[in-house]
Amino acid sequence: MKKALTYLISCVFVMAVHGSMLLTVYNNGKYDSVNDVITLSAAVILLDAVYFAIMPLFKQRTYAVDFMLLLILNMSMIFQSCFGGVHFDMKHFITMIAALVSCRIGFMLCRNHRWIQTKKKFFWAGIGILLVVIFLFTGDRSMWIDLGFMSIQPSEFIKPLLVLACATSIGEQQNRHKVGEINIVYDNVIIFGITAVVILFQWWCRDLGSIPTFAAIYASCFFMRICYPKAKFSRKTLIIAGSVVGVAAIAGIILAPAYVKARLFADIWSNPTGDGYQQTKALISIAEGGWFGKGPGYGFLHEVFAYESDIVFATISEEWGLLFAIMTVLMLLLIVAMPLVNPPRSYYHGTMCAGVCAAFTTQMALNIFGSCNMIPFTGVTLPFISAGGSSMVTSGLMIGMIVAAQSPVFTNPKKSKKKGKQKRRTV
Amino acid sequence: MKSIKRCQLVMTLFLLVFLICLGVLTARIYKDASFYITHSENYRLGKVYDRNKDVLFDGTNKIDKPVDYLIDVGNLIGDDKGQMENTLVSQNISKLNNYTFNNGIENKNGKAAIYTTLDHEANRAAYNAFMGADGCIAAYNYKTGELLVCTSLPNIDPRGGYVGIENMKSGTLMSKALYGTVPGSTQKVSTVITALEILGQEGLYAKSYSCGGYFINDTGGKIDCHNSWGHGKQNIQQAVENSCNPFFAQLVQDSDMPLESIIEMYTKLGYDVNRTEETETEQEYIDIDGIQCFKASTTLTDTSEFSTQWGCIGQGETLVSPIQLMMWQSAIANGTGKMTMPYLIETVTDVNGNVTERAKTKYSEQIFSTETADSVKQILLTNGANHYQYSIPGYKVAIKSGTAQVKHGAEENALLVGFVDDESFPIAFCVVLENKYSTPAVAENIVTTMLNNLAD
Repeated sequence: MKKALTYLISCVFVMAVHGSMLLTVYNNGKYDSVNDVITLSAAVILLDAVYFAIMPLFKQRTYAVDFMLLLILNMSMIFQSCFGGVHFDMKHFITMIAALVSCRIGFMLCRNHRWIQTKKKFFWAGIGILLVVIFLFTGDRSMWIDLGFMSIQPSEFIKPLLVLACATSIGEQQNRHKVGEINIVYDNVIIFGITAVVILFQWWCRDLGSIPTFAAIYASCFFMRICYPKAKFSRKTLIIAGSVVGVAAIAGIILAPAYVKARLFADIWSNPTGDGYQQTKALISIAEGGWFGKGPGYGFLHEVFAYESDIVFATISEEWGLLFAIMTVLMLLLIVAMPLVNPPRSYYHGTMCAGVCAAFTTQMALNIFGSCNMIPFTGVTLPFISAGGSSMVTSGLMIGMIVAAQSPVFTNPKKSKKKGKQKRRTV
Repeated sequence: MKSIKRCQLVMTLFLLVFLICLGVLTARIYKDASFYITHSENYRLGKVYDRNKDVLFDGTNKIDKPVDYLIDVGNLIGDDKGQMENTLVSQNISKLNNYTFNNGIENKNGKAAIYTTLDHEANRAAYNAFMGADGCIAAYNYKTGELLVCTSLPNIDPRGGYVGIENMKSGTLMSKALYGTVPGSTQKVSTVITALEILGQEGLYAKSYSCGGYFINDTGGKIDCHNSWGHGKQNIQQAVENSCNPFFAQLVQDSDMPLESIIEMYTKLGYDVNRTEETETEQEYIDIDGIQCFKASTTLTDTSEFSTQWGCIGQGETLVSPIQLMMWQSAIANGTGKMTMPYLIETVTDVNGNVTERAKTKYSEQIFSTETADSVKQILLTNGANHYQYSIPGYKVAIKSGTAQVKHGAEENALLVGFVDDESFPIAFCVVLENKYSTPAVAENIVTTMLNNLAD
């Protein structure tokens, strides 16, 4: 009864937030016909209602992440539908539903860690297949495959696969092999090799924006692996690793090609119509919007390339205000921070959540701080907020992993095969 | 459980770093938004007022006044269009920032403003007194430094835009009072100051030279006098009143006036002496609230040679801005030998109407002695009393006129520099009337009109 009441209150809260945003659009938005607002409102409220109805079909310990995901997705739907004037953004609506579906898939796939960790070879193979696809179809200066009716970015799909490949269990780390005088865990060597290959491929196809995300996923997994088996962080190892990373970063900056250095040390204001065009426009639009924005649809940034993806933080700031944009970002952070409130129930799920957290925070940082000229602008998406199907689906999949970590099942896969039925135990 | 806490610690690290960076970004945007907004097409500046709260510039382009209402001060106040750089608005854009991040771009109640010392009405009256002739006039309070009048012809009301800019008359987009012009005999004031500093009052008054209508110097150069009959034997007072070129040529050539001392004194006055292509240094300026005012220059190479004497008389290569001529008058008028530095901005208010800047009177270093100041003052007052009592009626003026030969002698500009010797009306001024024979306008009338308006 208490759970049902909490569920109901959460539904009301999510719908109230969306409702108040839609009211803002109606009152302060720029639209030609009120039908545009009605269509948008109907789509948002309908999706809320349908998802609320479907969610209880999946037995979970908590639905907090699901509520927050729906909240952020429909907020994103409202943002995207208002850029440059209120309209119903059908494409974004479809990708949003795809994100919700992929979240469910991620949840179903990952909730049984004993089962999923036996499938590592499939993830390695999946990454390998995607790299071959990149090699064959994207070319050496592109990251997209154009299918005619849509474009997909294969490197996006590597992210959740790498998170799963990096996730590890305590048992797996005990599986050591003596090679000469050194004890080696084969999985650690393999994951290092995979990450290195992935990063080299990204460099080759000039998808530089994704490299830090892959590096961050690996860093999170590396942290936990180098500190194993002691139940505390080994300071000596951490200092050595930190020093190596520091030296590598400095060497990288010194040895970087001219065009990379130009990006690192660019003064965007010296030539606002040149290389720094998007960033200068983004910062100007944030300044114009102030704390509370110009009103939905009243911005000018929608005339700038990638307004709905790479510089979407600024587009939202301009129309809805910096305060609202920051709140949206904090909501995203809250989703990935949920494992701090509801701890994962297994080490495998814990490492998986850390990987997701690393991927999300890095990608958000690249998008927001890059578009605002705090770091080089790499042109990556803001998860769930930016338009783009590949990003939506993979982000949904990764959030599904967090949902799974909070509502896991612990079943021995071999036993379940014999019995033909999974014994579900919720902890 | 410890191992899961380790996972949480890694997550916390990532989240914490992100949150710190987000905080830094927010603070940075809040701090720098005023800069970002200056690059916005939707950005609107605040207002510029004259001393009587008359609007001289409005960032929202809402000055509901007749066409050419601002034509007297247009090229001094300027606008934000970028066509005129050396103007009050261009040089003080940041002070007119009418934006705060808290209010966003839609802030309609911004109170960012510059309150200038200009008297628009007096400027307009002076502008009209030129009767369409080209030239400029500047006047300021020599006690406080408030720049009251600074108008220049031809001029432009920037509200009308810059259509047909290529056909505009030369000098339309620059306030001529800020730029160098041939000073004519007004330069003799500097030469008198120099002589007094070198020879002393008694020494200079002991000197007398004859003028027979011209003077052949030691190197054979001929210095003509405007009076071809000559002025006969004169002392310094008579020579100033007669504006006698041969007298000053002989004074410069006098063995008691060594070249080094003349150069030293001219440099002290602020001249860039002997600036050549070879020794070219960066042009120096007098800063008036960000506006650059040309600093004087002259050539002094040999006291017995024509170009040096001609330069000390105020012709040839000598260039002085009317503002600087006016500033020297302040050092004489105050009797201190220190120039009162002119300023244009009285107060600046921010977007909330709070005063962020208030002008203070500043003085230059001592450029000549108080005794010299008193002597020159007496000479100029006597000149004013004897020659300008009727042409500039109602004011006790110390004054020196000048005629500058320009365009290789094809045209002559009339100049007047001086000050009103009145504690309650301390105005120093300089007027330049270009091509004086082509216009019915008279420099004295322009000065009188301006003074009358300022007195009102």
